[in-house]
Amino acid sequence: MMKIKFSAVLAVLIVAVSCTPTKVIVPLKQGQWQIGVTQGRPQINEGYLPVLGAYAAKGVSETKTNYGGIQFSSLLLGAVQLEAGQVATLIPQQGFKPGVSYSYGVQSFLSTRDYAFRFYPEAGLNAYLKGGPHILNVSANTWVDPTWFLADFGRGQFFAPSFSTGYRLRYKWFEAQLEYKILNPTREIQIPQAYVPNTSGLGGKGFFYGIAINF
Amino acid sequence: MKDFLFLALAAIALSSCADVSGALFAGGDGTYDFKNDYLDSGFQVDESKIHLLDLESGAEDTIFALYVGDFAQIATDTIIVFLHGNTPSMDSYWQTAGLFANLVNKHHYGFIMYDYRGFGWSTGRSTGAESMAADYDAVLSFLQTKGLTSDRMVVVANSLGSLPAGPAAAGESRIPIQKLVMEVPQSTANVIMQNATGLSLPASMITSYKFDLSQNMEDYPGELLWMHGTEDDVAPVETAEAAMQKHRGTYYQEAVYEGAGHGLRWDIGDEEWSKVVLDFIRR
Repeated sequence: MMKIKFSAVLAVLIVAVSCTPTKVIVPLKQGQWQIGVTQGRPQINEGYLPVLGAYAAKGVSETKTNYGGIQFSSLLLGAVQLEAGQVATLIPQQGFKPGVSYSYGVQSFLSTRDYAFRFYPEAGLNAYLKGGPHILNVSANTWVDPTWFLADFGRGQFFAPSFSTGYRLRYKWFEAQLEYKILNPTREIQIPQAYVPNTSGLGGKGFFYGIAINF
Repeated sequence: MKDFLFLALAAIALSSCADVSGALFAGGDGTYDFKNDYLDSGFQVDESKIHLLDLESGAEDTIFALYVGDFAQIATDTIIVFLHGNTPSMDSYWQTAGLFANLVNKHHYGFIMYDYRGFGWSTGRSTGAESMAADYDAVLSFLQTKGLTSDRMVVVANSLGSLPAGPAAAGESRIPIQKLVMEVPQSTANVIMQNATGLSLPASMITSYKFDLSQNMEDYPGELLWMHGTEDDVAPVETAEAAMQKHRGTYYQEAVYEGAGHGLRWDIGDEEWSKVVLDFIRR
């Protein structure tokens, strides 16, 4: 039987739980659907488990797209992690002047063991350049922890930010996504018996990949 | 909304509820080659006093323990019960056994350590509080039949060993613990989860092993020595401190070392380590 290392499990949690990949950067066309799967790969000193998720998005207007997603890796560990939100155009791209979109939504977790429940509102800003099928972006996002006071020994914090840069190849029927994220750089991320690459001692880092179909 | 409901229902249907508590344990092979050849000169023992024991743990499993000393000592002398850290087997703690066997003078105290299920030659698999408690109880049962009493038992728990030591100290030990050394202990299962994610998520999101040493220490009436290093990146000192300082028992002592890491004894040296532990045992 494959032996799973605890550090690897927690590495999954860093990415699967503390930051899921950015689903949609540039809103879809009105009526267009996008269904995708994502994989995260947390950086850690040894080994990793694939962090798998799936999402569906629909353009509800030319400037707004709703999305919902699920993290399968959390599910395998015993937590139902669902998310839903909306991405909307704030400033349309004009030539080489980047477009800006914003997102807001919520992440929810339900333990299948004791039915403990947590939800985390989130909001983000994306700056993007779209040229033909190519989309480049930089993004900033934060989760809000309204139950920060439930963390043991008063170590919770209200915001859990992340910063990312990515590239997307979007064709009519298909989209490929690559994203690099700096996770939660406002606190030290600790995993017993493992080293988590960080930024000046804070946060974690991770790559995300995604593929999606559009219809 | 319909899509979201579909996703929610699919999530619940798909949930396999796998428990990763087993992944916490780094059990592996052991050689049990307990010889003086592998001990520092100051830690040499009488090899006739090295006893490898196999003990029944629960209904199906056998755990292995190492006792260093005379069995007759158990009914008359102080016995150190050592709960080791998260290494594949107690092989890694042979030097520790040698050190304890030479505290004060050679074989002054009896010493016993054991491998949890799935560690070394111990059969089965450690899965959480229940298996850890059963393994500890198997050792205590052996010691009890040999005549050990509460006033002559000192429990020393290193890192992972603090997890079964906590509930035992809080009242679950068949021989009540009166003296407990917590060396580089963890704090709570939630802390591990929260330190990994940066969120207020409870440990029940990934495991049913909900250890809580802060509650255990609050419930432990005996004497406690807590030893830790400020640079411990396996068991953070801040949360360990918060958990240990919940102790309201008869005596509390802490020994925190600036710059020391999780390998505390190696960082501060055997001399300092032995002095602090011995002073605590003798007080």
